[in-house]
Amino acid sequence: MSSDLLSLLLSFQPDAPELQQKRDYDHAARQFVIQLYNVQQHYFLKGADTPQDVLSILNPAVNTIAYAISLRLRISAALDKQKSIPDQLQPGGALWNRLLQFLETFDPVQVRYVGSDWRRLVDFFEQIARQVGTPGDAIATMRSTMLRLDPTTGTFTSTHLYFIRLCMEERAYAEALPILDNYIHSQPSRTPAQFRENLEYSVPCADTANSAEYIHIHSGFSERMAIADVQEYYVLGAMAYIGVRQFKKAMLFLEHVLVVPSSNVASGLMLEAYKKWVLVSCLVRGASRVTTAPRTVNGTAFKQVKAASKAYDALADAFAPLNNLPKLRAQINAGKDLWKEDGNTGLVHELLDHHHRFYISRLSQTFSAIPVSKIASNVGGSNKEVTAYLESLITEGHLNARIERTDKVILRFFLDPTHGPLAKTEKQQQQALFEQTERTNMLAEQVKNADYRLSLTKEYIEHLKRLNKKTAGGGGSDAMDVSWDEVDAEEDIMA
Amino acid sequence: MAPNVEQSEFFEKKRLGGILIVKDPPKFDLDSYISNYEGFTRLDRLHYIGSSSIYLAVEAYRSAITEAKRGKNVELYQTLVKELATISPSDPAAFPDEAWVEKKTRDVKEELDRLDHELKSYKNNLIKESIRMGNEDMGHFYFACGDYTEAHKSYYRMREHCTSAKHLANMTLRLVYVSIAQKAWMSVQAHLAKVDATQLRLEERTKLDPILSAVCGLAHMCVGNLRDAATQFISTASLYLTTEPAGGIFWQREVLSGNDIAVYGGLCALATMDRSELHHNVLGSSEFRNFLELEPHIRRAITLFCNSKYSACLEILEEYRADYLLDVYLSKVLAIIYGRVRTESIVQYFIPFSCVTLDEMATKFHLTGEYATIEDELESLINNGTLNARIDLVDRLLVSPPTNPRYDVHTDALAMAETYDHTLRLRLTRLSMLAAGMEVRPEKGQHKDMSSGGHDGFAGTMKSLGHKMGF
Repeated sequence: MSSDLLSLLLSFQPDAPELQQKRDYDHAARQFVIQLYNVQQHYFLKGADTPQDVLSILNPAVNTIAYAISLRLRISAALDKQKSIPDQLQPGGALWNRLLQFLETFDPVQVRYVGSDWRRLVDFFEQIARQVGTPGDAIATMRSTMLRLDPTTGTFTSTHLYFIRLCMEERAYAEALPILDNYIHSQPSRTPAQFRENLEYSVPCADTANSAEYIHIHSGFSERMAIADVQEYYVLGAMAYIGVRQFKKAMLFLEHVLVVPSSNVASGLMLEAYKKWVLVSCLVRGASRVTTAPRTVNGTAFKQVKAASKAYDALADAFAPLNNLPKLRAQINAGKDLWKEDGNTGLVHELLDHHHRFYISRLSQTFSAIPVSKIASNVGGSNKEVTAYLESLITEGHLNARIERTDKVILRFFLDPTHGPLAKTEKQQQQALFEQTERTNMLAEQVKNADYRLSLTKEYIEHLKRLNKKTAGGGGSDAMDVSWDEVDAEEDIMA
Repeated sequence: MAPNVEQSEFFEKKRLGGILIVKDPPKFDLDSYISNYEGFTRLDRLHYIGSSSIYLAVEAYRSAITEAKRGKNVELYQTLVKELATISPSDPAAFPDEAWVEKKTRDVKEELDRLDHELKSYKNNLIKESIRMGNEDMGHFYFACGDYTEAHKSYYRMREHCTSAKHLANMTLRLVYVSIAQKAWMSVQAHLAKVDATQLRLEERTKLDPILSAVCGLAHMCVGNLRDAATQFISTASLYLTTEPAGGIFWQREVLSGNDIAVYGGLCALATMDRSELHHNVLGSSEFRNFLELEPHIRRAITLFCNSKYSACLEILEEYRADYLLDVYLSKVLAIIYGRVRTESIVQYFIPFSCVTLDEMATKFHLTGEYATIEDELESLINNGTLNARIDLVDRLLVSPPTNPRYDVHTDALAMAETYDHTLRLRLTRLSMLAAGMEVRPEKGQHKDMSSGGHDGFAGTMKSLGHKMGF
């Protein structure tokens, strides 16, 4: 039997000449998965740890489907037997190494047919890593696995959430960035089955540009995610960005939490996000902070969170006038316990630090050169301290200026933006523009895809039906209309 | 006498209240100034000068009291006397003439009864013209007594009895007049619009137009629309100087003299127009030139401004500051006007230079006392965006920043693209959430308050994470 199993496992060869057409490939792959699911579990376990072990014969990079299913069954069996983690699953153990090898080398196309197995394997991996107390080591593997499955990681899965949770617990903010930097352009959607099967260009194995085509609600790659999970991902992501001081990106993430669709209520996560958003937007925009919400927020919900975070708004108001440091200090002091309660003390202190910075940047709008002693008398502090501070600002790239030491110390700003340490050449600017164009084009592509997926939803088709009915003018029998409408709708989609 | 006046109870109170007091002697002679005016504005102006200028207080009050005694406004007389008593208690005019007050009160009462009686009998006879005139007399009477609200009502009652467009125009002009006396500028503007809308014959129209634009300018100026005020004053035809009374009001003596128009119009224009506009619309206007001839120093100030001699222009204006502060209408907006002229001068002065020393600026523009040093003034001008320059405190220079339009366009484009990108991302997130059927819903069994269940637990996590991050 085990040889039968082996031949069955090897029966699906992705490179076989008869599978060049994507439709055939799709068909064969699905049949193959069904066949394997029908094989009883103990057949897979039979030859374990012998030279006949299926896992040694199969190559995870070539026989990904077979390997994933076998490995999943083997691990769950191993975990079932004991309460503690068996040796072979400990890092360094045989099975662990196989798991690691699979996660690093699987074939990203075949794996699309065994989404739930893939997810289970990633979960096993994460759980084991946690239990043996080395979750930090798991981060890199999880990240490369995610990127292997979907190079854009733009379709949200439960793995995203587990990943960012792990990163936050391990304080591995920088490690989280490659995933966070990828914009989440889709949520797993409910594409009807008829669009997933039998169509040359939208079967899962097609060379799709967009991961949302194969990661959907029935693919098994993700658990069912609620809106709170998505919001949690964004809040944690924002905190990671704050951790590495990329405040602008953090602000964008927090805004994602605020703009979620809502039936006029706010959630606790939105409240948390708002509080942080107020602080972070101060840090990003300085005195010219706009207090208006992003345009797509739900007004009522926004008002609710705003009403519940008055202290933060007051703090932001105190931050805005750059010449009133005592007021800001007083506000910070007054709300000390509150900031601590919300875990925002660090951010609030950052405000104080930035306040000086914005004050000095503002000076560049007014002065071309100013003695450091004058700044020192305005900010308080000795000449030496202020000079050191200014130098640090210049080297960190916050200030386009230089310090001159003649008989007294002078801060001289560069008036022309093309001179000085922060100067950008025309070429650099052009480069930036090109990059932005690229990003915008990519985004436009994603919008198009989202639009396409929306046009496949039941709601949209019903809307089309109704529309057609209206234009048809209600003549003829109902049954006739419906049949015609359906054809129409399909044609529209294809067009 | 002046120091006594300055320390008098009246001015002491004003000082405490933060109300403007003019200490410098004005250039004009009170008698010749006031002889330009008649009617209510004469008293009004005297009263204003008396209550503002330490230098002219007593003189102005004395004339005002004599003037008030000739009229019917008993209340005003009593106020004037009382105020004079607090300024200069020993002055012979500071003692109220009780006999006159009593007699006048009685007379007024009798006249009111008579007019009331007449009006009633007209109403019984149902003759429209008589009722209109009855109401008009009533209005005149109330106006003379200083009861502007009642006067307004009486004039307004004429409306339904007006039979010709001319009557209507006259009535509305009366309403304008009352509103000016009340200093209700919004209602002045509303009534002016009505006068403007009445259909009149061409020759009457040409007579009215200068009055309308002059009064309209006044109203705009008093509510702070300096730009509109300037255009109205400048477009006032010189016919205004010689026009006959309209609506029974001798406008150029009872409201605004030609000199006033020259001063108001000139200053408003200086404050709001740039050099070429001033050159073409003000100095080049053949109509407004007639007014400017009445006030040659205003014309000189404008000419100097046009010729970029800003400091000389500001000097002239400074010389006349005390005079203008004693003008009942101009005093309230004078600080704004002067401030704007000064700001505009500084900005215009700096345009052709790439670099000016601060000391040069300080000698060109003498400080007005608002700022301690010229640096401070320039700093605030730069900060509020009026002046595009940078201060070099080390070499004491005012430097014009180099411009690089190409760089700016690139930067702007980049910033715009980023904003667009940002918004689009937010929208797409929202859209994909909607498509996946995700929505924040009120939790069951909970009211619509903030704390949806998970909050406490989550806040706890946040707290521990916040601590952990050291943030």
